[in-house]
Amino acid sequence: MHSPLNSEQQLLAALAAGQRGATEQLYQQHYHVINGWLIKNGGSSVDAADLFQEAMVVLFGKAQDKDFRLTCSIGTYLFAISKHLWYKKLQRSHREPVYLPDNAGDEDEGGIAYDDDINVHEEREAHYEQLDAALDQVGEPCRSLLKAYYHHDKSMQDIAADFGYTNPDNAKTQKYKCLARLRKLFYTMQAK
Amino acid sequence: MSLNKNIWEVAEAYVAGSLSQQEITELNGRLASAEFANEFNEAVDLVRSVAGNGKQKRFRAMLRDIHQKQTAGKVIKKGLNIVLPAHFWRTAAVAASVAILTSTITIWSLKPSINKSESQYNNISREVKDIKKVQAQQQATQNQLIQKVNKNLPTPPPSDVKYTGTGFALTNDGYFVTAYHVIADGDSVYIQSQDGEYFKAFLVNFNAEADVAILKVEKKNFHFGKGDVPYVFTGSKATLGAQIYTLGYPKDEMVYSEGYVSAKNGYQGDEQQYTLSLPAGHGQSGSPVIDGKGNLLGLLTAVGRQNEANTYAVSSKALLELLHTIPHANSLRLPKTNRLGHMSRESQIEKMQPYTFSVKVYKK
Repeated sequence: MHSPLNSEQQLLAALAAGQRGATEQLYQQHYHVINGWLIKNGGSSVDAADLFQEAMVVLFGKAQDKDFRLTCSIGTYLFAISKHLWYKKLQRSHREPVYLPDNAGDEDEGGIAYDDDINVHEEREAHYEQLDAALDQVGEPCRSLLKAYYHHDKSMQDIAADFGYTNPDNAKTQKYKCLARLRKLFYTMQAK
Repeated sequence: MSLNKNIWEVAEAYVAGSLSQQEITELNGRLASAEFANEFNEAVDLVRSVAGNGKQKRFRAMLRDIHQKQTAGKVIKKGLNIVLPAHFWRTAAVAASVAILTSTITIWSLKPSINKSESQYNNISREVKDIKKVQAQQQATQNQLIQKVNKNLPTPPPSDVKYTGTGFALTNDGYFVTAYHVIADGDSVYIQSQDGEYFKAFLVNFNAEADVAILKVEKKNFHFGKGDVPYVFTGSKATLGAQIYTLGYPKDEMVYSEGYVSAKNGYQGDEQQYTLSLPAGHGQSGSPVIDGKGNLLGLLTAVGRQNEANTYAVSSKALLELLHTIPHANSLRLPKTNRLGHMSRESQIEKMQPYTFSVKVYKK
């Protein structure tokens, strides 16, 4: 008790690195809270899974910045982000005007900070979507090669073997050519 | 590696932070050209984005996988068409805690100086470990059944909550009280508020002998409820036979129980305690003891072993004494007015709710 062992900052660093243990721990500790809250507020368990996972991705994105420090506990953050995401979703579906109840987020530290985080997250999502669209147009073998390296985290060694290059260096050269093609496509798409 | 070779290679090394000092100097020289700088920045942006996108995709995939595994307890048994209810595990835990209460009661040694450990004295924090043992057995049986249908079904990992107790607010801005034995053995302490939010807390001061601990919620600008704490701390002793009640968390929801002061002193004549005739169970350690007029008399610490009707409470006097040993005790905004006095019992309980909460202790 005297020295808090489960430092939240350590947990965040592990989360940022995509470590499964930390992610499982956070899931275990906090998912049921959001699930319970959402069911009381007219959502389903399926909604809760989507919502919680989106909030985890927001936190994951924030935690990528090494200087990022939470001003509240991880649980509070996830809960507040989930609430904001949910109300945003309701507002967009035009069911009825929805007002944030006064306990959505924290009055003191302002729901604005959470909104900012969500906006950054949504911009990034849009950016990634464009990138995926460009990747789909880049043609083979580039599409598969880039996906294998960046999305599936395969080594150049494995990729060389899978794609039939004589050695990893050849595969690397091909990867750089592919990146150049992707850049052209991506920035032309953005310019439109 | 030469910088003339390939801009992508340089951009990747730059993003990974693996450029040598010499390469950085060389790069800075080339960045003087606006054309190169533009090209290089685009390359860096693209490498960052593609890598970040990939990393996030893997994270999302992992989340979906974790979700599937953690909610696997709700899977349907095909052959018999029985759906396990969503609250199965929680129900099992509560059932198990009752089983533990009525059968195998473990004795915690707390005050060796007066040999309470050998006697009929049980602290009433809920030890989740024991519950989990039973839960694990049930789970194992369950899994065997399920595995006949689906061999690949994973088991949900156990939570690492070690003990649970009850706490109540001392000041509205985050100071609260619980029984020391609830938190003594843990690594970190959280409270769970009415709407399910968790808040981390740290230990401010404790008296192991009296079994009282004062903690504070870490979060800045934290408030338990909308106004000041509604009850007041009375330093004087309650009269014999005074009607009292308590609110606590022997399970995941708040439980009300009532009784009376059956002796002015506690276990083996302990003057810092009361003996109460009040049903109490594991998880209720630290619960506030309140009289009909909204005075806080003390907090629950233990139940008698042979006579379950006897419950022991630390008097608020011991609590106040501990409070005054805190260096900045004078700056604490203790409640001054009793806002429960004229209310019906139901309204009192409703008013109390934000200020009484579950305390969860974690230990690795």
